[in-house]
Amino acid sequence: MRLSDSFETALEALMAHKLRTFLSLLGVVIGVFAVTALVSLGEIATYGIKKGLEQVAGRSVFVQPRFQPDRPPLKFREEDRKLLSALPAKVIPYVFASATARDERGKPVDLRVLGVPGDFPKLDPGIEMAEGRFFTAAELKRAAPVAVLNPLAKKRLFQRKTPLGHSLTLDFGGGAGRARVVIVGTTKPLTGLFAGLQSVQVYVPYTWLWQRVPWIRPGEFHAFELKAGPGVDLNALAKRVERLFELRYGEDRVEVQNVAVFTETLKGITLALQALLGGIGALSLLVGGIGIMNIMLVSVTERTREIGLRKALGATAGEIRTQFLIEATVLTLVGGVLGVVLAALVLYLLVAAVPFFEVFILSPKTVALALLVSALVGLFFGVWPADQAARLDPIEALRHE
Amino acid sequence: MLAELKGVSKVYRSGTGRRAVAVEALKDIDLAIEEGEFLAVMGPSGSGKSTLLHILGLLDRPSQGKYLLLGRDVTELEEAEAARTRNRTIGFVFQAFFLLPRATALKNVELPLVYRGLAKSRRRRRAEEALAAVGLADRADHLPSELSGGQKQRVAIARALAQDPAVLLADEPTGNLDTASSHEIMRLFSGLNREGRTVIVVTHEPEVAGYARRIVRMRDGRIVADETQR
Ligand SMILES: Nc1ncnc2c1ncn2[C@@H]1O[C@H](COP(=O)(O)OP(=O)(O)O)[C@@H](O)[C@H]1O
Ligand SMILES: [Mg+2]
Repeated sequence: MRLSDSFETALEALMAHKLRTFLSLLGVVIGVFAVTALVSLGEIATYGIKKGLEQVAGRSVFVQPRFQPDRPPLKFREEDRKLLSALPAKVIPYVFASATARDERGKPVDLRVLGVPGDFPKLDPGIEMAEGRFFTAAELKRAAPVAVLNPLAKKRLFQRKTPLGHSLTLDFGGGAGRARVVIVGTTKPLTGLFAGLQSVQVYVPYTWLWQRVPWIRPGEFHAFELKAGPGVDLNALAKRVERLFELRYGEDRVEVQNVAVFTETLKGITLALQALLGGIGALSLLVGGIGIMNIMLVSVTERTREIGLRKALGATAGEIRTQFLIEATVLTLVGGVLGVVLAALVLYLLVAAVPFFEVFILSPKTVALALLVSALVGLFFGVWPADQAARLDPIEALRHE
Repeated sequence: MLAELKGVSKVYRSGTGRRAVAVEALKDIDLAIEEGEFLAVMGPSGSGKSTLLHILGLLDRPSQGKYLLLGRDVTELEEAEAARTRNRTIGFVFQAFFLLPRATALKNVELPLVYRGLAKSRRRRRAEEALAAVGLADRADHLPSELSGGQKQRVAIARALAQDPAVLLADEPTGNLDTASSHEIMRLFSGLNREGRTVIVVTHEPEVAGYARRIVRMRDGRIVADETQR
């Protein structure tokens, strides 16, 4: 028997029971869908992580004192900033504080107060102004009482009204008293990866914090961010930073993080998602495969007389086996195609809906893998039914009612 | 010599242990069939006619004895070789026609040629010729459900003819047909036999057997009479 005839026979048999064929496929469709989505999602997420991190965190290395319960916390000073300026990166110093402010109805709102340099958006391309302006280097120099709100702070404190020109009273607690700042601008929401991770933040000149908060001494910094230029190896940069501080303060006094750390975290999340999809995929392929086996066994029983006839007319057991194996494989391949189409559809919608997923990726390799898996499922779960068919005794088969 | 059975027995065993029963469907059969013969096998139900035909058609094997087909010992053929030999030399016609319900008459006739690995065009030509030989050229595209019983059996005969077999084996080919159709089918066999085709028909109807030139009578698995009519 020619292979083309085997395929034709298989297709004819499947077309004879369209609805049943389709229903028996559902498990395979879902399985292949999950497998395809799994692989593609990995590719899409990897792309999203890379892009998102470069966009938001830029190519940055962060340095912070390490928290050690048995020692007073390390405070960075101007000399430390000078130390870092020798490296191939822009250095942004940070001073952190927390405060409470009251919204229009007098309800307290907790804020993270970030002391940063003037013209901060120029240093960090991830920050864009929505309204007003950022405070300037000159305002930093004279410790001007000015502030910029992030979208969440604006929403909590002013709802929809524009806060520009309004003053805000910050209560630092602990007997530090209150201090007023004038709001000069608001930032746009962050896009991409960290969009959901934003807290209620207000930016002020760090010099102002030095003056206003008793436990923050003038000249002290709480963290540095090093923005590396293109072509600088972030891991190497982080190593150099670590070594500089080690020489200065001894081992393990500071914590150096680069974007790669976030990448690892997000990779972990993606991996978890992939594991889930992999589990679903494997399970549905198993269930789907058993479904295929079941429907093929039903088919063999129903067509017992046909099998007997084919044998009487000269079909060998091998040819009957091949025919049913091809039938099962064609069946699952059809399921595979449907699963891939479904996955493409869902991924497309996902990419459109979730900002983290930036581009739609469905590589030919993934499609090939999905189809290969579906064909293998058919082949594997078709073996037993095909064998049952091949073993039928022609005389008994022809006598079958 | 087309076929020769020498001391052939067939024992069916069923059940196991104490319940095991053995049925001797054929007992020490000697039978020689020449090419070009038209032979009827008669006998009551259960006398072993079908079993004999199945062994002649290589669908079953003797438990004992020897079977020579076209001078070749085929007693112990392995499965695939038996299938290929059936395909090339045996044309079966069954009481219940056994046509594929979803295939046209033409496709049904092509079926054995599919297993011969013939290309589509050649298959089609031979199937058309075979349908014409049974007078159904104009029904090639009909489904079995659109044909009468007699027509169905003619399609089945065409299917056997398409194989150009050494022998036509028919098991009660008129069993599902009315009298008129039965005679029509038997006249067809007669015609084919006159053209040189060897035909073996199993039947329990004397009228049907009357078309044959040689009648073998069976009872309880034995041949009890073997008469050639003049
Ligand atoms: N597969 C089988 N298993 C057991 N007994 C069988 C089998 N096939 C046929 N027989 C028995 O063998 C005998 C001959 O059967 P068969 O050749 O079909 O007779 P006929 O065709 O003359 O009616 C019967 O007694 C029948 O019951
Ligand atoms: Mg019988």
